[in-house]
Amino acid sequence: MERSARQGGKVVFYTPVLFVFVPILASLIIYLFKNKWVSLLVFVSQAALSVLVVLFALYLQANPDQALIVFGGWDERIGISFYNDQLSLIFIFLTIIIWWVILLYVFKENNEDNKFLFFLTFLQGIFLGLIQTNDLFNLFVFIELTTVLVTILIAYKKSGPAFRAGIYYLLVNTVGALFFLVGIILLYNVFGTINIRYLANVIPTHANTTIVKLAFVFMIGGISVKAALVPLFTWLPKAHGVAQSGISALLSGLIVKGALYAFIRMYHFMFIGAQFQVTELFFYIGLITALVGVMFAITQKDMKQILAYHTVSQVGIMMMGLSSLDSFTLYGGIFHILNHAFFKSLLFLGAGVIIHKYNTKKVGEVRGVWKAMPMLSILMIIAMLSISGAPLFNGFVSKYMIKYAIKGVWHKEALFFLVNLGTTTSFIKFSQVFFGPKPNVQKCSNPLQFVGMTLLALLCIGIGLFYQPIAEGLLSLDLSKINILDVKNWLDYAIFVGLGYLLYRFVIAKDFKIVQAIRDFKMTFETANYLFIVYLLVLFGIILL
Amino acid sequence: MSPILTFIVILVGLYGLATSKNIIKSVFCVTIIEAGVILLFLNLGNLEGGSIPILDGIVENIVDPLPQALMITTIVIGATITALALMLCIKIFHHYGSIEWKEVLGKEEK
Amino acid sequence: MIRRITLVLMLVIIFGVFVLSMIDLQSLYNTSGKDYFFANGVFETGSLNLVTGIYLDYRLFDSLFEAGILIVAVSGVMWISQHEIEEKNATFMFDKQKTPNLFVTFSRLVYPLMLGFGIYVIVNGHVSPGGGFQGGAIVATAILILYYIDINKTTDVAKILTIEKILFILIVLIGSVGLITRGEVFTNFFTLSTSTNLKSIYLIALNILIGTKVALGMVAIFTAFLKEGR
Repeated sequence: MERSARQGGKVVFYTPVLFVFVPILASLIIYLFKNKWVSLLVFVSQAALSVLVVLFALYLQANPDQALIVFGGWDERIGISFYNDQLSLIFIFLTIIIWWVILLYVFKENNEDNKFLFFLTFLQGIFLGLIQTNDLFNLFVFIELTTVLVTILIAYKKSGPAFRAGIYYLLVNTVGALFFLVGIILLYNVFGTINIRYLANVIPTHANTTIVKLAFVFMIGGISVKAALVPLFTWLPKAHGVAQSGISALLSGLIVKGALYAFIRMYHFMFIGAQFQVTELFFYIGLITALVGVMFAITQKDMKQILAYHTVSQVGIMMMGLSSLDSFTLYGGIFHILNHAFFKSLLFLGAGVIIHKYNTKKVGEVRGVWKAMPMLSILMIIAMLSISGAPLFNGFVSKYMIKYAIKGVWHKEALFFLVNLGTTTSFIKFSQVFFGPKPNVQKCSNPLQFVGMTLLALLCIGIGLFYQPIAEGLLSLDLSKINILDVKNWLDYAIFVGLGYLLYRFVIAKDFKIVQAIRDFKMTFETANYLFIVYLLVLFGIILL
Repeated sequence: MSPILTFIVILVGLYGLATSKNIIKSVFCVTIIEAGVILLFLNLGNLEGGSIPILDGIVENIVDPLPQALMITTIVIGATITALALMLCIKIFHHYGSIEWKEVLGKEEK
Repeated sequence: MIRRITLVLMLVIIFGVFVLSMIDLQSLYNTSGKDYFFANGVFETGSLNLVTGIYLDYRLFDSLFEAGILIVAVSGVMWISQHEIEEKNATFMFDKQKTPNLFVTFSRLVYPLMLGFGIYVIVNGHVSPGGGFQGGAIVATAILILYYIDINKTTDVAKILTIEKILFILIVLIGSVGLITRGEVFTNFFTLSTSTNLKSIYLIALNILIGTKVALGMVAIFTAFLKEGR
């Protein structure tokens, strides 16, 4: 009796392994049997994962000392280990929700295409492994696997732009990951282990040496490439713009956040004891990324490119939150990761439906969406209000938390104001698709897609309204500072919308020469690598001084 | 001394990436960087000298076996990435008729 | 020109920093990992070759995903290489000349030797340098020599991919058997107190599976490239 109870306990203990292997085994079985009914296995595995994650979260809350699993039972400095805490559980929940939505969206078109489902589901297993791993080289293997899988998914459509986006993405990300690897070996030779939690304890002993600083620079440089920070973001608009809509939603919503998760692990967990004074540097990198992203986004004419450049800009805002050591702002950044996953995926999926119906990608050519598809228009408007930070929606909460840290520093506030202004302007530009007469387009609809999108919209509104109990329950965070009913916040938002409309009307719609120049700006591959080297040097310079 | 030489290999690869105008040359430069990283790992494990890590006799001192095990994985990963990149290059040539970065990236989407 | 000069300058600065860190390393070099493997490696894993012991026992989890990346990359290369109708510049290379008789004769001679050597490297991975991944690459090269002998040889790639995936599932299952016998997952299924000979059964089995899988994967990738040129 006791032995079976212990065995039962052991099975729940190994749930993190099941998180990784249930999707992988499901994907292999789907590939082996080219059968429409076997493809339903994705939903079975999703349901299994959802049940497992709830059970595991409860189990972990009851026994917090079981968070660390060392495979093989070896000494923790030698074996590979998985570690789960609040942050990784949040990301696992987010992953499973987003994958539900994406699978519901793509299933009808692709249920006979078992290779597509194979790659998609395999990616889920790998991503869940990336979130939980506690070993640096294992993290590198998962990052490389994510790179390869995303390249294949980007190039899946086999069109010319898909291939060139794929190879640009593959080469740039591989170089970044190889520099991450160099950082790993430098740390191993100084400390004798590559276990993240163990390193977090021993790094302070040698934190002032050049070798540890160089390892930090290489590792953060490698992660920044994947996270699309300035000046290394040029792969993102290409990749997210040409992939099919479900994949674009997945990339913008989740995979980019995987790199930010690795950044949090490296900066806030592992190197925190070394006390490198880089908070201001990362804040400014985030701010510049946000500005550059929104500047490019305003000038684009292609719907998916606008959304892709917006992802760059929102990643900048997240970096502004994640760079600080103050826990309120840090949670603001993490909260923005969650919120952005919800509303950006909703925007991409909605844009996908519009593109599929109207057969064009340009914002200027699409009109009358409100009359043709009212349900979709409501969902898209919800997403747009969330991303621009309207009170009552979730974007407001996280942007407020990040803005709170820079209160009083006028130049930071001014630049953040510009970022928000740009966001509002570009979505006013985007919203012109709603107006106009009803077009005659074919009436193809796929109700399954709307299930997922409605779920995301409900989450946006739900978090926007009930952020206080959610934050207190999940993160034990006191958010009483944020008040939806405060008139000042509504006034702020109204000012943004007003100024944004004016900016759009008198500057963007006229399409001046400079707007065209920014739109046609292309960065060559060589320049991208050149800027990578510049980035490494800037990082190293700041740390040394 | 030898870790420094292998780092020069990595930097040469990086210089090539920042200046090559041909897609296949860029793929080769990534392969060079990867080869440099592999050699760096092996050399750093060998800083104190020693014999191979096979204990079938009286062995005084061995080189570090962990970087070697990590490099087996890295070599396989590098080979697969090179294969994928080269297949993409072939397809780009079929679609665009050229494998220069400027021409491929410059063409507008239809 | 200015760009090249600044590029070289920046690379020289990075090089300088690296030299400084190597100087640091002279005093900071930590051998605790190596000492642990030297002292306990043979007893805990049952393998005289410590590197095999690491990637099949201490870090089996990494090797599983290394096998996984092979599956994904091979399937991806297969998918990308299937031809679509819109390609304008695809010119298929016809076999221009027959392979010289000298090559064919020597390939016939070398093929069984290489195959034997590859299998030897795979099976003896735990007592001599080698192992699943290395031996698998050698076996793959041996099989590819067959393309020299018979240039019109066709391979059924779909079957290769199916076998590869079944092998991956088998590897994961063998790795997990330890949960029942030992209570620990992803390690040898014999307990620590059994003799080295028994423990090496697990090592040989895994090496053979991994070797076969790697060989099949490499053959599939090469066949895809060869088909592109045909």
